[in-house]
Amino acid sequence: MDLAILVQLLINGILLGGVYAMAAVGLSLIFGVSGVLNLAHGEFLMLSGFFVYVVYDRLGLNPFLAVALVAPCFFVVGYLFEMGLIRPLALRKEHVRLASATLVTLGVALIVEDATSFASLGGSFEKSVDIFVPTLVLGTVFLPSLKLVIFAVVLALIAALFLFLKYTYIGLAVQAVTQNRRGAVLNGVNTFRINAIAFGIGTFMAAAAGGFEVIHSAVAPDIGLPLTLKYLSIIVMGGLGSFAGVALGGVIIGLGEALVGFYNPAWGQTVAYLLLVAILLVRPKGLLGK
Amino acid sequence: MKRTLPFVVPTALLLALPLLRIDARDYVLQVLTLLFLNIVLAQSYDMVGGTMGYINLGHIAFFGLGAYALGILYNAGVPFVPAVALAVLAVMAFAALISYPFFRLRGAYFALAAFGLVKLMEYVTINLNWLTGGSNGLKIDPANRTVPMYLVSLAVVVIVLLASWVISRSRLGLAMKSIREDEEVARDFGVPTRLVKTQALVVSSIFPAVMGAFYTWYINFIDPGQVFGLKIALTPVAMAMLGGSGLVIGPVVGAIVLYMAEEVIWTQFDELHGAMLGGVIVVVGLFMPGGLMRLRPLDALLGRLGWREDDR
Repeated sequence: MDLAILVQLLINGILLGGVYAMAAVGLSLIFGVSGVLNLAHGEFLMLSGFFVYVVYDRLGLNPFLAVALVAPCFFVVGYLFEMGLIRPLALRKEHVRLASATLVTLGVALIVEDATSFASLGGSFEKSVDIFVPTLVLGTVFLPSLKLVIFAVVLALIAALFLFLKYTYIGLAVQAVTQNRRGAVLNGVNTFRINAIAFGIGTFMAAAAGGFEVIHSAVAPDIGLPLTLKYLSIIVMGGLGSFAGVALGGVIIGLGEALVGFYNPAWGQTVAYLLLVAILLVRPKGLLGK
Repeated sequence: MKRTLPFVVPTALLLALPLLRIDARDYVLQVLTLLFLNIVLAQSYDMVGGTMGYINLGHIAFFGLGAYALGILYNAGVPFVPAVALAVLAVMAFAALISYPFFRLRGAYFALAAFGLVKLMEYVTINLNWLTGGSNGLKIDPANRTVPMYLVSLAVVVIVLLASWVISRSRLGLAMKSIREDEEVARDFGVPTRLVKTQALVVSSIFPAVMGAFYTWYINFIDPGQVFGLKIALTPVAMAMLGGSGLVIGPVVGAIVLYMAEEVIWTQFDELHGAMLGGVIVVVGLFMPGGLMRLRPLDALLGRLGWREDDR
């Protein structure tokens, strides 16, 4: 095979995987802290994409500026979502809690999807942002600079989250709750507040990914649940609770889709699930799970 | 007698329904057939999901596989009855095969891997054009099979309810419940957990497989989004939880209530069907953790009928 094509595919895959990884890190944070499989994650991503489009379309702002405006609002959305709908489930028995949280987030996902297409923020049409950035050419390899910029921002955001978790009180508390909720409570951590903050941060990450999604490709009301499933595959594949695993999972899926999709577009979307099932069968707790 | 009456009377009435000679008969039968399909899916999902506590989001894979197996066999010239038998056997073999690797997973991992399996099968059926017709779907010789399908579905509903009831009071059912409560403890007390899990999955796969096979025969045309789609995969789970997961009577009640709610929403409102359905699901998740049949008044009613199960 042509080396240049391979390099090109690898670059595309990694750039794609970066955005996957960012949204998946948010989902993984939420799962780690609260033990909830948040099926509404992709809906917040989609919704944020639409708001970014509206801000860009109506106000004529630079789309990246629009993301910077919209995404922080979704921190509040996630915080309130946890307070209103997830917190009431907190004291139920383990498998009942998993089941009811699945139902609640699924219901919210259906509501958001339907309301979005109804509100005709988009009808059933795809929305995307027109932005022209020249492509960099390095020898025979094309570097889509738009995706490079996005990738850089994604890396910066993930790094910021990492530092936040490592060096601030709230970040350490988040980690403590992830490792041992009871131990955290006994040490005076307000676990309810930490839950809400984790939902806020996770939703913020999803919202940022949604903004980038609308910039580099497009969003439509019905992309939410399938995307949630893809992110869930990524975090399960990497090992629940392991950030490095999530990043690895995101890049693996991005690479898999880029490589397989190039040779056979029909099988490109299959790769994520094939890899998920295959990896779990070999390592039941994911690649880097403990 | 008193205990079986509330079960026998509706069954007999439903059995007599095709004898009616009214204009709307076929419509009524079709609506009920879909309801029966939902009951069978919810009830058989709950054998693994409720009784054993493994949230099997991949249950619908058995349905889709049965549907496609029958379509392919039937089109290849296999007579109908052997084709159904072969399709169901194939699905059972598939269930036994996946049970070993999948049951190494627990909790959320199991649920998601099973769901990944459904998505995988959806894409595989789309991509295996030569075998399945891809996204164009699969056709079999068309005919109006409303009445026989209605009777078959009714029979399968009765069988699946009886099977749930028998399992719930059998040694296998007890072993399944012990796995739900604490798998390690169950194993230490000598429950052969791996075998029990495989048996449970295979038994629960029979019913969706039968319904899938007959579904193709009834509807004449299937495509991947229809039999492996998100909606049909998640609705039975929501139904079982709505009615009361882990109770024999739960999934069937949940299926009836949610199906009727859906019908009302679709016929009474023009817009926002999905949002309303989502609202119903949220309310169930928030306020009815044990499902409808564990609410006090309904629980008391079950007690009076002598149907109460002490499962907690």
